[in-house]
Amino acid sequence: MKQRSHASLLAWGTLILVAGVLLPLAVRQYQLAILTEIIIFALFAVSYNLLLGYAGLLSFGHAMFFGTGAYTVAIVINHIPSLSFFGAVILSLSVTTITGLVVGSFLLRHKGTPFALLTLAFNALFYAIATKWHSITGGDDGLSIFRPDINIGFAQLSTSSIPAFYYITFIIIGLVMLFSWYFTRTAMGQTVLLMRENEERMKFLGYNTNVSRLILFVFTGFLAGLAGIFYALFFQFTSITAISIDMSTIVLLMVIIGGTGSFVGPIIGACVYIYLQDFLSDITDRWPFIMGLIFIFMILYVPKGLSGLIYSLIERLRGRRHLSRKVEIAE
Amino acid sequence: MQEPNDILQVRNVYKDFSGLKVLTGVDFKVKENEKHAVIGPNGAGKTTLFNIISGKYKPSSGSIIFKGEDISGRSPHVLTRMKVSRSFQITNVFQELNVLENVRAGVRCDHGLRYHFLKTPGSIAEVNKKTEEILTLVGLAEVKQTLARELSYGQQRALEIAVTLSTEPELILLDEPTAGMTREETGEAIKMIDKVTASKTLIIIEHDMDVVFSLADTVSVLHNGSILISGSPEQIRNDQRVKDAYLGEEGD
Ligand SMILES: Nc1ncnc2c1ncn2[C@@H]1O[C@H](COP(=O)(O)OP(=O)(O)OP(=O)(O)O)[C@@H](O)[C@H]1O
Ligand SMILES: [Mg+2]
Repeated sequence: MKQRSHASLLAWGTLILVAGVLLPLAVRQYQLAILTEIIIFALFAVSYNLLLGYAGLLSFGHAMFFGTGAYTVAIVINHIPSLSFFGAVILSLSVTTITGLVVGSFLLRHKGTPFALLTLAFNALFYAIATKWHSITGGDDGLSIFRPDINIGFAQLSTSSIPAFYYITFIIIGLVMLFSWYFTRTAMGQTVLLMRENEERMKFLGYNTNVSRLILFVFTGFLAGLAGIFYALFFQFTSITAISIDMSTIVLLMVIIGGTGSFVGPIIGACVYIYLQDFLSDITDRWPFIMGLIFIFMILYVPKGLSGLIYSLIERLRGRRHLSRKVEIAE
Repeated sequence: MQEPNDILQVRNVYKDFSGLKVLTGVDFKVKENEKHAVIGPNGAGKTTLFNIISGKYKPSSGSIIFKGEDISGRSPHVLTRMKVSRSFQITNVFQELNVLENVRAGVRCDHGLRYHFLKTPGSIAEVNKKTEEILTLVGLAEVKQTLARELSYGQQRALEIAVTLSTEPELILLDEPTAGMTREETGEAIKMIDKVTASKTLIIIEHDMDVVFSLADTVSVLHNGSILISGSPEQIRNDQRVKDAYLGEEGD
């Protein structure tokens, strides 16, 4: 059983790797750009689900990290001319992480509705700062940036073409996503799950649950920040959308569509959301209306999301009893 | 006041819940390695006393001295790390996890596996060994892959004790560990408790008088928010006030 799941994991990994590497040869540039956007949003959604699905914390402010990443990378690239690609990414990640620590220290004692409302309030604050601090953020006009090249000692790698940026995104975000998956099996990842299951008992087992919540919050902020950084680099532009409450709602919808009960759910959700948006906005101006209807339908009739639907279909095909554990807990 | 071998002193502890006076000056001492039973009628405040010793609630006034140190009002996780551990009257484990994971959660905490981002919970041999030991001690080794919620009631209670032991405590507080068990189950459970708490200090809340008198070195009677009397099982059995206040009620 154990070995078979390892083998199938390896098979899936290889398949994704091969597909990811060969895809640029097979699809048009436009498709590749969409795919890049999906990868970026998939990370954003995965980070959100570590809060919602794994820790049971509903946040309405995840865009504050996404936006902080997007703005910081634009600001540092525009203000520090010789900054390298990775220099900009690392600097922006540091800023996002510190932001996570500061905001998280106000939130660590809270759960449930107070937590949700506080994240909403913080997001509103971040949004206000981004609109009003015109000299730094460009206000409503946003900030344009050029992607720096990647310098690897002996060679200069251009990041300007769509396939080049696709590969960079695929590799870096792919690795980070892989780590996020591994994280759910680590001691810290399991601590988060155990806290959702029974926080009181965790305290009586010696865990400082406030510290655990802070660590998780900073980590998910870090991941969302990385997604935001790539979002800005991808569009070569940061706008107020990146840090808006709309953006927090979008990631929430992606996760709900995909399902909170598994690691891959949010990835599926990001795919569906971005493709749907792309497809519908091509055929009608009223696309937000249609998407709204689809979401209402999903939440009412597919509450476990697409991944939940897929899992229960697989279970049914195999003729097995559906496992009701919410999130798979591994050894 | 403080004798060298007192591991715990409860000094003049008061507790009220927004006006409801539950504890009104509780005083008692527990010696190292003692088996100390706390008895008292329903609603006497026994669980509240445990909640205060284990850090769930702060006392309204008074103090708790553990190994000579005032620990009143400290958080549960701090007290757990100081090797105080308590069980719950109503089973309070991780229902969606299996038995092994339940126990390992407590064991790994003390082995650098609280917040580790790289190591998995099962990655330290010492942790796995301790977990297995505890499971064997409480008799759950056979069902270690079973989800907690799928256990029988007796097994759930055994798991409650296993989880309490998982932090390797020196002072163990058990809140009615045998509540709801049949006579035979109770007998088995008490044998097990006697075994697992050997060379440790135990405070146990228990309603079954046979159990109390066979297991405990010292018995304290909690009545109307304070300790009526503390003494050997013999003394308690023969005390008229106890008969009036408590043992009499048992009889009817
Ligand atoms: N958190 C709380 N808030 C308000 N009242 C409480 C609280 N905890 C306990 N009480 C009250 O304190 C009194 C003592 O309760 P406690 O649970 O300590 O009794 P007990 O001796 O453990 O009883 P039992 O034998 O039924 O377990 C009860 O009247 C209870 O309602
Ligand atoms: Mg009680």
